[in-house]
Amino acid sequence: MARVKIENLKKYFGKVKALDGIDLEIEDGEFVVLLGPSGCGKTTLLRSISGLEKVTEGKVFFDDQEVTNLPPKDRNISMVFQSYAVWPHMKVADNIGYPLKIKKYPKDEIEKRVKWAAELLNISELLDRYPAQLSGGQRQRVAVARAIVLEPRVLLMDEPLSNLDALLRVKMRSELKKLQERLGVTTIYVTHDQVEAMTMGDRIAVMKDGKLQQFGTASEIYHTPANIFVAGFVGSPQMNFFRMRVSSEGTKYFAVGFGMKIPLKGDPRKDQVVMGIRPEHIYDQASGSTQEVEAEVYFVEKLMSETIVHTNLPEGGRLVVKIPGDVSFQEGQKTKFYIDLDKVHVFDPETEERIKL
Amino acid sequence: MMVKKILFWFVVFLVAAWFLTPVVFIFLAALTPAQDYYNPHKIFPSHFTLDHLYKLFFVLDGWKATIISIEVALISIAISFAVGLPAGYAMTRYKFPGKNAIRLSILLTRSIPLIVLAVPLMVIYMRFNLADSVMGVALAHTAMILPFVVLITSSIFSGISVEYEEAAMVFGLTRFKAFIRITLPLALPGLAASAIFSFIMSWNEVFVASVLTLSNRTLPAHILNTAMTSPDYFKFAAGMIMAVPAMIFIFFTKKYLVSMWGISLK
Ligand SMILES: Nc1ncnc2c1ncn2[C@@H]1O[C@H](COP(=O)(O)OP(=O)(O)OP(=O)(O)O)[C@@H](O)[C@H]1O
Ligand SMILES: [Mg+2]
Repeated sequence: MARVKIENLKKYFGKVKALDGIDLEIEDGEFVVLLGPSGCGKTTLLRSISGLEKVTEGKVFFDDQEVTNLPPKDRNISMVFQSYAVWPHMKVADNIGYPLKIKKYPKDEIEKRVKWAAELLNISELLDRYPAQLSGGQRQRVAVARAIVLEPRVLLMDEPLSNLDALLRVKMRSELKKLQERLGVTTIYVTHDQVEAMTMGDRIAVMKDGKLQQFGTASEIYHTPANIFVAGFVGSPQMNFFRMRVSSEGTKYFAVGFGMKIPLKGDPRKDQVVMGIRPEHIYDQASGSTQEVEAEVYFVEKLMSETIVHTNLPEGGRLVVKIPGDVSFQEGQKTKFYIDLDKVHVFDPETEERIKL
Repeated sequence: MMVKKILFWFVVFLVAAWFLTPVVFIFLAALTPAQDYYNPHKIFPSHFTLDHLYKLFFVLDGWKATIISIEVALISIAISFAVGLPAGYAMTRYKFPGKNAIRLSILLTRSIPLIVLAVPLMVIYMRFNLADSVMGVALAHTAMILPFVVLITSSIFSGISVEYEEAAMVFGLTRFKAFIRITLPLALPGLAASAIFSFIMSWNEVFVASVLTLSNRTLPAHILNTAMTSPDYFKFAAGMIMAVPAMIFIFFTKKYLVSMWGISLK
């Protein structure tokens, strides 16, 4: 187990800046998720931490030891690959035991640990099979078992659940998280699935174009997104954004536009702001401090547990609203919605950064 | 259903007959005694004889040529794999400038008929004292086999996910050991097949071997020179000697040969 510290990490593939100056500090035993759209550099960051990729610039530390130029074999890490990379010419037991065999553990010790890992992952009855005789989910468990037999300093996982069907994915999600808590191993987990990130990560590092956008708990990411990208990337359906004028009345400030007048909590020191509000923070009934907005229903998605209403605002612009439960709306119907003023986000239209009010 | 089955086997029979009939006649003729062979009323001999094979081997020094053939093949395979295997690995696993140009130029070497090279090679060999030597022929065959080995091993390695190797490296092996312990075992069937295919390429090569040697002839070159001036049944016996080892090899390795070329039989 180790702390992981990444300092100004850069990795260029020719002209492509896969990593463009990443700083990250991960606590001992923490479960950190790297989240971001395809091509943002998640895999590259993971591979740089593992040593499989040589970095262009910057440093990687495990605890106080610099490992930047250490080959992967000397880093004492484990990895679960997206393709699992379970060796096809070895039986499951040999696959799981191989990291121990490399490190020259005695035979009975290997056997003991393989048994332990297999039991932990519920694959004891598969030990005599070859990987070709396993399902995707079973192969994934083998890959995880292999990754934990050695008690690595850092466990790296690259989208380990992406090849599983939805049901198994949900099940494995909680199992992996529980397993990590039990082992207490520092884990870095790559995904582009935000639900996976929110449910599994102690902290989430959101990336885009090789740059770290925000690093924080799920709650921080959700409630105080650092910029428009993070705000839009996390949450489903996506946050509504409106570019609005700022007007002041005495000491009070408002964001005005699209038939809305949203009181702000302070002076944004801008002529214009981007106002953001999540669909689930717009209600069909007034409550507490809300701001009424009139809209015309344009399209309704009924998921039974919730209803997603796409509406057009009178001054143009689209507002998406998520109402819990199975509520009926007519398309074309004019109706009133209520924006929760405590949940309004304000961003700088130029830098796209969050404005703290 | 029934009709389909009959039709299927009929086609199988036709294809098999197409390839096997000449082989059968070669073998028959090779085993036919001389007097039966020249008797126009007999298609099938009254009895079989190993006489021609025996004479070809022991009177006409066929055994010596066979040994030379095997030597030549083994030496060229050894050199081709020693150089071609790492080259094939590098071609798939590494990015380097000019990679495509190299790949193309390797292919281009295959477009030059070996016989064109044989005469200039002879001149060079005379200078280096390699003319009429086993090593000389082996090197010429290497020129033929090496490009094949580079291309085919590169395609074999590219069929084996890098992640198998990377996983081994993460779990404590160096790149070289990861190659030896993970990639090599996975590639072995394909590599064995390409080695055997290389063997057959060398075994069957006539022209260069004939040009480059006089006394140290490989089997096909030897046969071309001796048997072709001998009676017909000797020619057939020679044909049989040439064909049988190749057929036996292919029979035992057909599964791997098929997989090497990327075709799968279901
Ligand atoms: N070996 C490579 N050579 C050249 N470019 C590469 C290489 N590996 C990655 N890249 C580029 O670097 C960027 C980051 O790639 P990376 O694989 O890290 O993305 P990712 O976030 O893991 O994406 P995904 O979610 O699709 O797996 C991409 O633009 C990719 O094209
Ligand atoms: Mg990736």
